[in-house]
Amino acid sequence: MAALSTDVLVIGGGATGAGVAWDAALRGFDVTLVDRADLGEGTSGRFHGLLHSGGRYVVKDPRAAEECIAENRILRRIAADCIEDTGGLFVTTPFDDPEYADRFVEGCRATGVDCEEVDVGQALREEPRLHPGISRAFHVPDGAIDAWKTLWALARGVRARGGRVLPYNAVVGIHRDGDQVTGARLRDTRTGEQTDVRARVTVNATGAWAGRVAEMAGVENVRVLPGRGIMIAMNHRLVNTVVNRCQMPTDGDILVPIRTVSVMGTTDVHVTDPDDQAVVQEEVDAMLAGGEKLVPGFREARALRVWAGVRPLFQDTADDAGSSRDVTRAHTLLDHAGRDGIGGFVTITGGKLTTFRLMAEETVDAVCRHLGERRSCATKGEPLPGSERGEHYHVVERLARRERELLDEQLVCECELIPRAKLEEALRRSGTTHLDDLRRVLRLGMGPCQGGFCIYRATGIMHALDGLDAARATGALLEFLEERWKGVWPILYGDQLRQARLDDWIFQGVLDVRHAGQ
Amino acid sequence: MRGGRTYDTVVVGAGVSGLTAATRLAEAGASVCVLAKGVGSTHLAAGTIDVLGYTPDRVDEPGAALSAFVAERPEHPYALLGTAAVAPALRWLTEHVAAGPQPGYCYVGGGLDRNALLPTALGAARPSALVPETMAAGELRRPDPVCVASARVLRDFHPTLCAANVSRAGVEARAVELEMAWERPDANALGLAARLDDPGFRADLAAQLAPRLRPGERLGLPAVIGLRDPHGAWTELERRLERPVFEIPTLPPSVPGIRVFDALRAALTAAGGRLVMGAEVVGAEREGGRVTALRAAGAGREVRYTARWVVLATGGFASGGLVLGQDWVVRETVLGLPLRGVPAAGKPRFSADYFGEQPMARAGVAVDASLRSPELENALVAGAALAGAEPWREGSGEGIALTSGLRAAELVLESEGVSVAA
Repeated sequence: MAALSTDVLVIGGGATGAGVAWDAALRGFDVTLVDRADLGEGTSGRFHGLLHSGGRYVVKDPRAAEECIAENRILRRIAADCIEDTGGLFVTTPFDDPEYADRFVEGCRATGVDCEEVDVGQALREEPRLHPGISRAFHVPDGAIDAWKTLWALARGVRARGGRVLPYNAVVGIHRDGDQVTGARLRDTRTGEQTDVRARVTVNATGAWAGRVAEMAGVENVRVLPGRGIMIAMNHRLVNTVVNRCQMPTDGDILVPIRTVSVMGTTDVHVTDPDDQAVVQEEVDAMLAGGEKLVPGFREARALRVWAGVRPLFQDTADDAGSSRDVTRAHTLLDHAGRDGIGGFVTITGGKLTTFRLMAEETVDAVCRHLGERRSCATKGEPLPGSERGEHYHVVERLARRERELLDEQLVCECELIPRAKLEEALRRSGTTHLDDLRRVLRLGMGPCQGGFCIYRATGIMHALDGLDAARATGALLEFLEERWKGVWPILYGDQLRQARLDDWIFQGVLDVRHAGQ
Repeated sequence: MRGGRTYDTVVVGAGVSGLTAATRLAEAGASVCVLAKGVGSTHLAAGTIDVLGYTPDRVDEPGAALSAFVAERPEHPYALLGTAAVAPALRWLTEHVAAGPQPGYCYVGGGLDRNALLPTALGAARPSALVPETMAAGELRRPDPVCVASARVLRDFHPTLCAANVSRAGVEARAVELEMAWERPDANALGLAARLDDPGFRADLAAQLAPRLRPGERLGLPAVIGLRDPHGAWTELERRLERPVFEIPTLPPSVPGIRVFDALRAALTAAGGRLVMGAEVVGAEREGGRVTALRAAGAGREVRYTARWVVLATGGFASGGLVLGQDWVVRETVLGLPLRGVPAAGKPRFSADYFGEQPMARAGVAVDASLRSPELENALVAGAALAGAEPWREGSGEGIALTSGLRAAELVLESEGVSVAA
């Protein structure tokens, strides 16, 4: 069995865990970040992509609103390249309580969320597809944040400072020496190989799974309520500004333009198992109906993909009644030394992607206390790798690059404009054999055809480049098709069903994928 | 709306079933018009004629397997059509391609007696009853080794992966990467096929290939060996390279499929039939149990087509013949005909398992043995719009399309008092 020794072991490769690793690495600690799957396969890669202004919380959860706006300003600086500055709108639709708008304005003032009322005619000129019956509209500094890009940047930064990032390494046991947590045993889910990690401090940053990981360390009383929400990506930028309904946050009241799509969110259903990410028909219908209220004709666009994510909502006391939306969105840091008499172990949970940096700062402050060291946080001033120039990305960037490369580079994916060289570079760099990993890195297969054309190409390129044997390459293709289908079948209708049947024609008919190798 | 045109029969859809029905009618002397929104199944499919490939085990003898297959599936199109109708339909297609505009180009194979087993672009062995002559040497029951060659510029074909899976299927295979001068970094099959119509380009290709091939190897190329004269191009490559050469179908647009389209279109127009592309049917007029006219959107205006008969050959979900609306209701798009095989409201439409049975997969228009919907006495349905089949999983698409297309035409002719004795 392999063994390694580290200052800080961070369990959980979402934005929080990667943020903790980045913060600790910047403070000069030797860090090791592990996840049972790829980075961002949990909640971070399964949200709508909203960089909160805080506007959604100004009435209901002012503390969360204050954190959001502060972190929004910081992330625009340090993670500029991961953010599209779409701006945000709160609009009072005919379906909303008109009284709420004044409370909203007052809440923004009280929490410091920048908010400017705009003329309804002006708002409709900016976003012509919005419901023409809106009665009030407010600009806020919402944005779109690419979670995967953020995670890769954090991981690059960690590695550049000597840290280890170990995806596909599941924690199978947490080591205790008396009342001290001393590290964990990992199992590589691809090879089965196990590694013993000796750590001075272990950070549990597993979000909705935090209760389970704490239990492995012998801490039984960490109650995290998984709140499952579904999101639907539509094939167009139906809006170019984040649009929220100006009302108390509810199901299906936000539309986020991100990359080439817009994402409708979300629901909130209390589940007992964080791995329960099932998509329920009624929730799909509610989402589509919610879309119609913001953008009439919403359903006419093609629904590309639906997925569920689980919010980690920490509960101090048992209270199972009702929706999980009423639990605070603010995060919780549990220092198990003071709380449970277990040293070397810290849990950070709750929160949201927008506040990952703040959560990381508080967590590493606690780590420092455990180690009896005074090292101050540097993440507010240090741009992530790739964001040094401080410029936000633009949705048309790939198109602009394509114009320059038109006669030099082969496209592998027409929907997301992915050049072959880019795919080959990603394959070489990551050494991955999972086409789904490439989807997260490059957006391969995420466009309207959902991989109909690019996935055979990518499989062929991966096979030729890696010298991967045909059985594994073909297996990767089958695995991708099965995985993709999970996010597709509940929302198939109209032209997207037609597209899916064309894809079936290609894969099951022309290529006969099911019988390859027989 | 413009004044109107009158035909004995209007066929909606220009895939294999629609073109077959229309050609058969035109050759019997009927006045026929095909209205099509765009090109159909031919441009997407592999270009092989698949009758029955999987039940779900692989079928070697489709003729023998058909009777058991329909016995278990009384609502399958083959059960409605009768298995005896399949062989004449294959013969009809073979004759029409042989007499088509590509000189010498023809379909070969065991027909109902034996499926050919040809490699796909992924290297899977796929069963087909009839295959273009240009594909036949890819038969994977043959023991001779295979060399698969292509050029990087064709992003829709990956010879290394194809060859590796052919090897897994038990035939020794390797891949060769060709250099191909191209003005752009990517080409599709259609672009390459147009280039291979040029004898000079073929000569260069053969010269590049010859030294890289080993004795005893047969050569597999992506299915791009010419559109105008594929027989000439293919025989020339075989002659120059002194070995069997075969095409391997790949991602759309399908060059072998386009050859079928060209052959059937030529036969249709030679027999006096008409094909109007870009004509989406947007409305239908009915009188009692009859459809009397169709309105098609043309270039900026609607045109009204009246006909005594309508043959609906619009395909399934993939072709737009069926649509699942945002209200989760399935509709047949041209005439709104009643359907069969649609899961009841509230029941799962699809299964979470991609390769499992999909509840919606066999949805289609409900017809009787005369291919008529109970609602309309003068509308017949052919091809993938019919309920009860899963063409890709069964490997049955072209067999159903040809057999039902011919049957629809013959039922119209019989009703008009024309003898249809084959």
